[in-house]
Amino acid sequence: MKKKYALFPGCLMPTEQYGYEISLREALPVLGVELVDVEGFSCCGEPMKSVNQLMTLYLSARNLAIAEKHHLDLFVPCAMCHMALSECIYVLESNPAMKERMNGMLAAEGLTYTGKQHLVHTVDLLYDHIGLETIKQHVKHPLKGLKLAAHYGCHLIRPSEIGRPVNSENPQKIEEILKALGADPVTEYPQKLDCCGAPLLANLPESALTKTGQKLQAIQEQGIQGLVDVCPWCHKMFDSRQTKAGETVAAKLHVPVFYLTQLLGLALGVKKEKLGLELNLSPVDTISFEEAV
Amino acid sequence: MRRIGVFVCHCGINIAQTVDVEAVTEYAKNLDGVVIAKNYKYMCSDVGATLIKDMIKEHKLDAVVIASCSPRMHEHTFRRVASDGGVNPYRVEIANIREQCSWAHTDKKQATEKAKYLVRSAVSKARLNEPLKTSSIKVIPEALVIGAGIAGIQASLDLANDGFKVHLVERDPSIGGHMAQLDKTFPTLDCSSCILTPKMMEVANHENIELLTYSEIVSVDGSIGNYTVKIRKKPRYVDVEKCTGCGDCATACRLKDRITSEFNQGMGKRGAAYMPFPQAVPLKYCLDASKCLFLTRGKCGDEPLCKKACAQGAIDFDQKEEIIERKVGSIIVATGYDLLDPAKMYEYGYTTSPDVITTLELERLISSSGPTKGEILRPSNQQKPKSVTFVLCAGSRDETQCTWCCRIGCMSALKHVYLLREKLGDDVEINLCYQDIRSYGKGYEEFYRNVRGLSTNMFRGKPSEIRTMKDHLKLDIFDTTVNKLFEIKTDLVVLVPALVPRADAQEFARLLRLTLSGDGFFLEAHPKLRPMDTFVNGIFIAGCCQGPKDIQDTVSQASGAASRAATILSKEEMEIDPLIAAVDEDICTGCGICIEVCPYEARSLNEKTKVAEVNEALCAGCGGCIAACPSNASIHKNFTKKQLLNQVDEILE
Repeated sequence: MKKKYALFPGCLMPTEQYGYEISLREALPVLGVELVDVEGFSCCGEPMKSVNQLMTLYLSARNLAIAEKHHLDLFVPCAMCHMALSECIYVLESNPAMKERMNGMLAAEGLTYTGKQHLVHTVDLLYDHIGLETIKQHVKHPLKGLKLAAHYGCHLIRPSEIGRPVNSENPQKIEEILKALGADPVTEYPQKLDCCGAPLLANLPESALTKTGQKLQAIQEQGIQGLVDVCPWCHKMFDSRQTKAGETVAAKLHVPVFYLTQLLGLALGVKKEKLGLELNLSPVDTISFEEAV
Repeated sequence: MRRIGVFVCHCGINIAQTVDVEAVTEYAKNLDGVVIAKNYKYMCSDVGATLIKDMIKEHKLDAVVIASCSPRMHEHTFRRVASDGGVNPYRVEIANIREQCSWAHTDKKQATEKAKYLVRSAVSKARLNEPLKTSSIKVIPEALVIGAGIAGIQASLDLANDGFKVHLVERDPSIGGHMAQLDKTFPTLDCSSCILTPKMMEVANHENIELLTYSEIVSVDGSIGNYTVKIRKKPRYVDVEKCTGCGDCATACRLKDRITSEFNQGMGKRGAAYMPFPQAVPLKYCLDASKCLFLTRGKCGDEPLCKKACAQGAIDFDQKEEIIERKVGSIIVATGYDLLDPAKMYEYGYTTSPDVITTLELERLISSSGPTKGEILRPSNQQKPKSVTFVLCAGSRDETQCTWCCRIGCMSALKHVYLLREKLGDDVEINLCYQDIRSYGKGYEEFYRNVRGLSTNMFRGKPSEIRTMKDHLKLDIFDTTVNKLFEIKTDLVVLVPALVPRADAQEFARLLRLTLSGDGFFLEAHPKLRPMDTFVNGIFIAGCCQGPKDIQDTVSQASGAASRAATILSKEEMEIDPLIAAVDEDICTGCGICIEVCPYEARSLNEKTKVAEVNEALCAGCGGCIAACPSNASIHKNFTKKQLLNQVDEILE
């Protein structure tokens, strides 16, 4: 059965983290997912939160309402956008007065929010909606025995009460997906839930890079072959800034960092050059994958 | 026409500040059948009681309505007052204008109106209340005690020494409960088994105690003074008459040292033929039917080795479970507690490292009869730890797990610090992460002060996560007394988990018709004044099944419950409430539906008259038969259909 979603790109993925977008646009259709580009999406609202919470809520509600207008569920690959939109749904569903107020504001554009549309992130799309069995059936080039570590990122695991795609203390869905792809992920490592550093980047760049560096260093020391993430912010830290992070903690870092969708594409038989791997700044080419046909 | 008196209580200001009691009194005067209405500050006081009695005499009243607190509180009081004044106690009606009116509302005008309606409704019922007579039943002077931990043991011994026959039922193969697992007790550091074992022996040898171990309650029927209990005796597959407790079967068992020992909290192993611990009572072996090769597969090598080893021929694979019946006058429930499973809190690393253990597991390590013979060794490598860290309130006082305090965690951890210092010496680092130290009992604070002197690192805070590193554990803790983040590297983490109700508490409560409080423990009839009573007459609760408590409090409560039970058992006869079912013989068709629905076996068919009857000793007044009767022949005395519909009509008017 074909699954159709409106793709909510957010800001970071289409302006900087192209690898994520390229790979998911290539890999997901193989699993029967149709991604629709809808016009009019704006910022998710989250960056405004410390300045104007009402605006944050309005921007989130507006995006949800646009998806609703097109009768499409939303696919939100950015964990931060996903959290902002989830929080908006949580607030509007538990506060009828605010829902009414938002709808009053949305009326100017002829939009309404009723809360009919579902929200998915890459992880629950693959794990809960497509399912491990379907993924397994489509695997052409298993990631044989690749020892990988998963990084979930804070926005994906917290806060639980607004509804997150994974368990907050012991998330295992990425590992399960990686196993379905034939890899051999470490299900538990002490630093698994450690922060990527990104939230500190604007104000305390040094501390931010220390967090990034410490986590990568620990992964490297444990002999893990690569790190897998699902959030453009985390990837920006672990991949794009890996060299800098290494300098901050005085370590030579060489941890290959992948988007889950890049590995998914490889396993599903998507050609390597179509997955944006050349855009990863970490040494992903040190791992040799079975060449896609 | 009845002559009804209405008495409105102020309850100090509890009622009077929200309800205009004068207005309610004036209103009541004009109701049909009311000849006098009065109000007073405390109707339940001596002066109030005298007022009621005087009015009964002066106005020749034959029914009384009290507008006051819930009937649960003072119905009994006012029935006695009316009876003393010469009115049948079952012609007293309570209008609850406190819990259901003044306490629930803030608007005085509306609350007053509501109070008027409540009084009016009660008066309408009082007009039709019949005078009833109490009847009496014979009390069976025997007691059932469920659970043979320290609470059950204490209650049984008290009752048995009072001269009553006690049936003590224990689910496990041995009595002793959690206390048998402990090494030392706080704050006096008494050896737990040294003070418990004599009591266990006394239970085993007492002529008035019938000990039923490895047995479970199947059903409880009847009511106060006359309960019928069915008990399932699980097969031990060992003839207890022949077994001498020599242990040859356990030594011979093919599964020896291959099954996790429940008694040792998973810290040690046992076989399928086993005795939970060396001081077990009864000192008899038992075969684990879920593990024993012969019992699960029908084959154990060429022949079962235990059978071959037993010189007494006590092993009996043909034993079947047995259901026995006992009749008792009163029941004491002492089923104890479970520890919260730390696996539920993934962040504490209980599932990721063998070196994260619970207090009860540490008890078994410290105990000289435990798996390590009292040596403190890390489960991962059997080496002495150089650093031990206690994490208190693991799941306690935590909105995501258990909101309540476990009441024993602080003291048990302090006790362990003391014992570890003694066993491991001064060069071992001991850290203790706490929220608050609650050393509230007699001698506890002094004990705490002593332990603080034992160079213990106290951190006021809760670690967010316990990380399993290569050869050690790591935790970050923010100490709120110094506002600093500490990073602790440690070898052994001891979690002090929350105390939770038994996993099957809910199921068990249904069996006995007990109520649970919000936290899942058994609910007492009144938190302050009836802490051992339940809402089921004749059933009492003791120990941790009612809520977490230490051994001292448990023993006190158990003795209290025994004395409450003795109050019943010492009576030859017991008055029973006449507010029960009755039959209108002219209407009853003898269809028998009431007999089917009655859970107390109180209904039967008179074969001669073909009319259903009520056994007044068994009827609990639940009303099941009244609702089920298709011809309205079953009635509830003083709660007739007419009375209840009248009440509703009066309120809706």
